[in-house]
Amino acid sequence: MTQKHILDGYKIIDFTQYLAGPSATRLMAEMGADIIKVEIAPHGDPSRAFPYRKNKRSAYFIQQNRGKKSLCLDVKNEKSKAVLTELIKQCDVLIENFAPGVIGRLGFDWETVHKLNPKLVMCSMSAFGQTGPLSHLPGFDYIAQAYSGVTSVIGEPDKPPSLPMLGIGDVTTGVHACGALGYALLDVYRTGEGQLLDISLLDCYFHQHEVNVQAYSASKGKVVPRRSGPHHYAVAPTGIFQGPEGYIMILALVHQWPVLCKAMGREDMTKSAKFGTNDARLENLQELIGIIEGWLQSFDSDEAAIKALQDVRVPVAPILTIPQAVAHPHHRARGTIRTISDRMLGEFDIPGVPLRYSNFPDLLPLEAPFLGEQNREILGDWLGYSGEQIDAMESEGILVNARH
Amino acid sequence: MKPKHVMDGYRVLDITQYLAGPAATNLMVQMGADVTKVEIGPHGDPIRTFPYAVDIPGSKDKRSAYFIQQNRGKKSLCLDPKTAEGLAIIKELIKQSDVFIENFAPGVVGRLGLSWDVVKELNPNIIMCSISAFGQEGPLAAYPGFDYIAQAYAAVTDLIGEKDSPPSLPMLAFGDVGTGVHAMTAIGYALLDRERNDNGGQLLDISLLDTYIHHHEVGVQIYSATKGAIVPHRNGSQHTAVAPTGIFKSKDSHLIILALLHQWPVLCKTMEREDMIDDPRFKDNDARIKNLPEMIIAIEDWLQSQDSDAAALAKLEAARVPCAPILTVPEAMEHPHMIARKTIRTVTDPIMGEFQIPGMPLRFSKYEVDENIEIPALGQHNEEILTTRLNYTADQIEALKNSKILFQKAV
Repeated sequence: MTQKHILDGYKIIDFTQYLAGPSATRLMAEMGADIIKVEIAPHGDPSRAFPYRKNKRSAYFIQQNRGKKSLCLDVKNEKSKAVLTELIKQCDVLIENFAPGVIGRLGFDWETVHKLNPKLVMCSMSAFGQTGPLSHLPGFDYIAQAYSGVTSVIGEPDKPPSLPMLGIGDVTTGVHACGALGYALLDVYRTGEGQLLDISLLDCYFHQHEVNVQAYSASKGKVVPRRSGPHHYAVAPTGIFQGPEGYIMILALVHQWPVLCKAMGREDMTKSAKFGTNDARLENLQELIGIIEGWLQSFDSDEAAIKALQDVRVPVAPILTIPQAVAHPHHRARGTIRTISDRMLGEFDIPGVPLRYSNFPDLLPLEAPFLGEQNREILGDWLGYSGEQIDAMESEGILVNARH
Repeated sequence: MKPKHVMDGYRVLDITQYLAGPAATNLMVQMGADVTKVEIGPHGDPIRTFPYAVDIPGSKDKRSAYFIQQNRGKKSLCLDPKTAEGLAIIKELIKQSDVFIENFAPGVVGRLGLSWDVVKELNPNIIMCSISAFGQEGPLAAYPGFDYIAQAYAAVTDLIGEKDSPPSLPMLAFGDVGTGVHAMTAIGYALLDRERNDNGGQLLDISLLDTYIHHHEVGVQIYSATKGAIVPHRNGSQHTAVAPTGIFKSKDSHLIILALLHQWPVLCKTMEREDMIDDPRFKDNDARIKNLPEMIIAIEDWLQSQDSDAAALAKLEAARVPCAPILTVPEAMEHPHMIARKTIRTVTDPIMGEFQIPGMPLRFSKYEVDENIEIPALGQHNEEILTTRLNYTADQIEALKNSKILFQKAV
């Protein structure tokens, strides 16, 4: 049999819900892993209720959960615990994103699962990490974002911060978890022993500060990171400029500055006292913005201005809206935006798979499960439960399923 | 012998520069990999001058905290890859490496003579990872791109800022770092594929644009599945699709409060506004989105009635409603939680002294974080690499230096 992808044959027991955890196992499903999504009865993953929804089917849920098998049960029931214990013995990975302590109260803390299955890799994801003064607090993406100093550097300087309309932190935490799991599996392959991973939203947000932490610290507080609207506070020109029609992103660092000056017919600015260095340009930022925007207005269209800069290889971009990005020929050509088909919602677009492997060029055909859709398959085929046993658990309300 | 970390013994040949590539190998170094950073002579990685940087007395060079943050623990080999001798050194190292990673504009690595076809011929077991702004092919592939450029093309910039103002630029390059994390992840699985499935090496194509688009958890599906009825847009400090989820004016400053699903009644009780739980204007998410201004007033009135932000936070935290103060970067760095977990860590550099950088976000129970990783000077490891790995003699190395193929600096 040909191998369908890298994680072919790996079994993952996935207790995660909402976004960060499901983002990690979404990538693992795309890499061919067998993923049992444990959903807590009776409603399952709360993100099944997230917009956009039609007939109780959520496009949000579908995007994150394609290719997983749904096992929906009353996790506090002893019969369910027996099922989960048997599954943990068979799996390579256990992943969860409850608040710290909850998985232990369910009876599946690291010591217990490590004894059940010494090769198992366990990944615990949380807002603030498993230890430390904040670890007990509930947290979602924007909460950790605010604690990481990230929210404070986004928006207009004299207004409240702006909330980015996407779950950057949740998704990147999922990717960090997925990455750590890959290396931990490699380690199991080499050493035969599993381990526990502790991945947090807060750590992952902090990890994205490329300038702010070191610049504040190494300058001994002289450089204070701050939000500064459409233009960067530390490098210029790097920002969003008014074009003839809309907004245009332009960035000219180091060797690109003279090229931009030449393109504008302003070679006099290249080495001038006012604009010759990054520090000088930051000091005279408003004047610089005025000059660049004045030049942009000399074009008939944004497209013409962008092309003039592209031709001389100054980094430039239109600020695309979601509708424009979804329709862009490049995004379509690469499958960066990808159309999927769902049994209930029909065809719609989701982000493509960002991990591209030359040995596995084709994407797997994946479906998002209905709630508890694979209850019978998992208990029957994997664990050898009889039809009667499964019927009994269904009628006792321990196993739940629904067509949405 | 017990490995010191998960990548102990793996050799990575890293010809990346700027941020996305070095962010990938930064994590790999911290997982114990042996990373050789190939820098292009005479100046090396352009970020050796990026802010915050200090001038070195008696020299034209700078020492950059930005560079240090991304490049600790790597070995620097600085050479001219356009000479036959320089290229030969890289090719010999490719034969000995497990991973080869680059982030030039698409086509450049091929013009250097190091395309995937050449690389896999030299070493069929190598994992090659190409990182770029837009990917290796497609209509935009040839354009130069940095973080914010791909961010704009990914419809991320459009979703940040005040509704009626230009978009705001986030003051951190989360796309570059995120792309580095995606690359590091893909490399891990490609290594697993090689070891476990005996599939040999392969080529990975990782882009900033894919990474940014991957972060849209709501925007793409909601626009598409509603057939355009919902168009995501920037909305200042309040979320467009879920409420309450936003930044609220509080007694002392601003607080983030987020109360989804079952947390809404809890928030109402905490505010002593039980009347709002079943009020038709607020009873579910759709109603709250429709009546957002009234809901904001109710929450902000309550926040203003508290003695302080700390008092409001304490009440919300006690009821387990997700909430947070909006810390500045300095406040975040001094927070006891970040210090306790080493989410912020202190490094020491011979020139810059002690300063802080973000900690290691991947925490493995079997392996400690290495606290003593050094920062390479430009070309610091030229001789070590050429001598120990490629058996060059001292005379050969001297000749390469004299003919300006190998470069070295004190910083």
